[in-house]
Amino acid sequence: MAIIDSLKKISDTVWELPATYKEGMRVPARIIATEKLVREMDETVYQQISNVATLPGITRYALCMPDGHSGYGFPIGGVAAMDVGEGGVISPGGIGFDINCGMRLLTTNLTLDDVKPHLKEIVDLLFQRVPAGVGSHGFLKLSHSDFRDLVEQGARWCIEHDYGWNEDLELTEENGCIPGADASKISERAIERGYNQVGTLGSGNHYLEVQVARPEDVRDKDLAAKFGITIPNQIVVMFHCGSRGFGHQVATDYLQTFLKVMEPKYGIKILDRELACAPLDSPEGRDYFAAMKCGLNMSFANRQVILHRIREVFSEVFGRSAEDLGMRMVYDVAHNTAKLEKHSVDGKEKTLLVHRKGATRAFGPGHDEVAARYRDIGQPVIIGGSMETGSYLLVGTASGADTFFSTAHGSGRTMSRTKARKQWHGKQLQHDLEARGIYVRSTSWAGLAEEAGPAYKDIDEVIAATELAGISKPVARFTPIGNVKG
Amino acid sequence: MTPRTPITLVTGPLGTGKTTLLRHILRTRPAKIAIVMNEFGEIAIDTKVIEGKNVRIAELGGGCVCCSLVGEFEAAVNEIIEKVAPEMIIVETTGLAEPEALVFNIQEALPQCRLDGVVSVIDADMLVRFPELGHTTRLQIEGADILLLNKIDLVQATQIEPLETKLREINPTAAIVRTERCQIDPELLFGIGREKEVARPQHRHQLDFESFTFSSDKAFSRDCFSRFANGLPASVVRAKGFIRLTDGAQLFNFVAGRWELEPFESDRTELVFIGKKIAAKKERILHALDECVAEK
Repeated sequence: MAIIDSLKKISDTVWELPATYKEGMRVPARIIATEKLVREMDETVYQQISNVATLPGITRYALCMPDGHSGYGFPIGGVAAMDVGEGGVISPGGIGFDINCGMRLLTTNLTLDDVKPHLKEIVDLLFQRVPAGVGSHGFLKLSHSDFRDLVEQGARWCIEHDYGWNEDLELTEENGCIPGADASKISERAIERGYNQVGTLGSGNHYLEVQVARPEDVRDKDLAAKFGITIPNQIVVMFHCGSRGFGHQVATDYLQTFLKVMEPKYGIKILDRELACAPLDSPEGRDYFAAMKCGLNMSFANRQVILHRIREVFSEVFGRSAEDLGMRMVYDVAHNTAKLEKHSVDGKEKTLLVHRKGATRAFGPGHDEVAARYRDIGQPVIIGGSMETGSYLLVGTASGADTFFSTAHGSGRTMSRTKARKQWHGKQLQHDLEARGIYVRSTSWAGLAEEAGPAYKDIDEVIAATELAGISKPVARFTPIGNVKG
Repeated sequence: MTPRTPITLVTGPLGTGKTTLLRHILRTRPAKIAIVMNEFGEIAIDTKVIEGKNVRIAELGGGCVCCSLVGEFEAAVNEIIEKVAPEMIIVETTGLAEPEALVFNIQEALPQCRLDGVVSVIDADMLVRFPELGHTTRLQIEGADILLLNKIDLVQATQIEPLETKLREINPTAAIVRTERCQIDPELLFGIGREKEVARPQHRHQLDFESFTFSSDKAFSRDCFSRFANGLPASVVRAKGFIRLTDGAQLFNFVAGRWELEPFESDRTELVFIGKKIAAKKERILHALDECVAEK
């Protein structure tokens, strides 16, 4: 029987694999998506999400967001909340190696007409100032000891060193610095890989885009205005990146640790080795949590330094200060994390470790952890699409409790990177995009081909699914005009 | 003319023995090898490091180097070839990496290199203990030419056959080689690069592997030889050497069904065939090859 036949339709956007589907499942697995998206998902996603449902401490459901696709251990788009009091585990495969890969969005008070004549200059300069590519390193010259401070202090370190404005911190998830990060839990190798990478985009699907908010794409004018989108054809800048080689090494180090202790020491049996984990309440689990938080902070700092560079570039091109150009942050969200949060489960408040891997936190109005400025309207959610199809700004909703207030993070691949490379040619793609008014710079042509629009799910369909499911609400859609591809 | 630089990709999940394999290769393969990895890690410690534009290079002795990426992969490989001119390059991926994009890079973006083989190290004990294969592990198995079923000393003898079946279901064409501590004959692992002679393997570690050679002064027909290479039985894992075709001598490299020719200077044909219990097939194979002689 095909797996899809085992899926029970709960509603138009909720599909369930019951806990009886596979031996060892502690809770049902749920996929949040429209029927079309569910049918398009590869079967590995179902296998993976049902494996996640076997992990100790998992609460209510193992969840997969509408943009889900298969990944290391967890699907990308996977959400799992672990009850720490019930032996709940922490799993690097549920966070992703690019710890705190995330999105940052800032506005300008410029319009498309203002920017168009300078677009190439801006993108070329951004390409130069915000290094991209696998091993690229940034302009910050940090010693290992500076870097240790930075990973404990996150974006706060950057503000103290004049790379940004105070208000940037308020507009970053966790105020840009998650408490409890402990650099003594980080290997020398991880430090070595990361210390010169602050302020760099990296490779793969990471990018920096100059985008325009066309009037017809602003879905909710009032909310958009509260987020700073007020002018027709306003220019915004969005970028997507994470903790580079540093986060990758932290994940690798602790996966190896967990593989050694998981079964002999904690008696945890898992179906797929890629789900290696340890109880959060164990020496190994706590160490990883403290190290992973360094990854979170490294990434907040990375995006903070990149923001600083973007402000410099615009300021240079337009001969005006960044303040004068209205280059204010809308928000910064992480989409590869595990964080302790309070959630109500069966009427009782519980502290849960919520893994979100390729999933965005989306707290609704009134939640304590939403930046004061947005508390009455809900947390901004930034979802990047492919460079051809556009990206979205959304807002968290009060009705998102069933997904532990989590929503999608991107459009999700529909095709492997190799297949995309075979189908498109980077240079030609750049040419085609330019003909359509999108100027692209990339360090790798083959890498550019991987990111061709049709290699991704339809972003509009993903966004519609999140709205229909009541887990986030679209505010505005942005169309790219300039792109620096990692 | 200098043949392209062969690149071998070593992949496999975390902790299966990739570093052990690299050490084994450095010990047993007398060649100028450049190893490319994300980090020097355990291979190069306390050695002189040269900072390049796209790579950091550490000397390992015996002309071998270990390189870590600073820039893009393609640029790094070009820089290594320019600076070190290695006889072969081995790229070790991290246990978390999906090898397919790298394979594509080597084949499409590095015309001066030849993908010699993709070797995946799989831990037999891991296969026994974890019934479901991870997504990344599966991709690492799917992409391989040679699968090292390693750590067979940690599982019961009766468990090995079902494990091979499991691997074969995912990748029907790859050669599966059982190993302990990654001990594999380098002649089986690698094709022929710029050596002037075709070496025969020792079969010290894999007793069920056999080999035989073929040599000739005659010229062979290209079309017939292509048909011959395509028709080699699945038990032949490696075949390599020089072949004198009517339109010029070629370097021949065959691994698990995939093969390539490239121009090479040689006035003779010298080939070696390596595979699982292939002695019995020797006569049939050599007869088919004889049929390809252009002028009798």
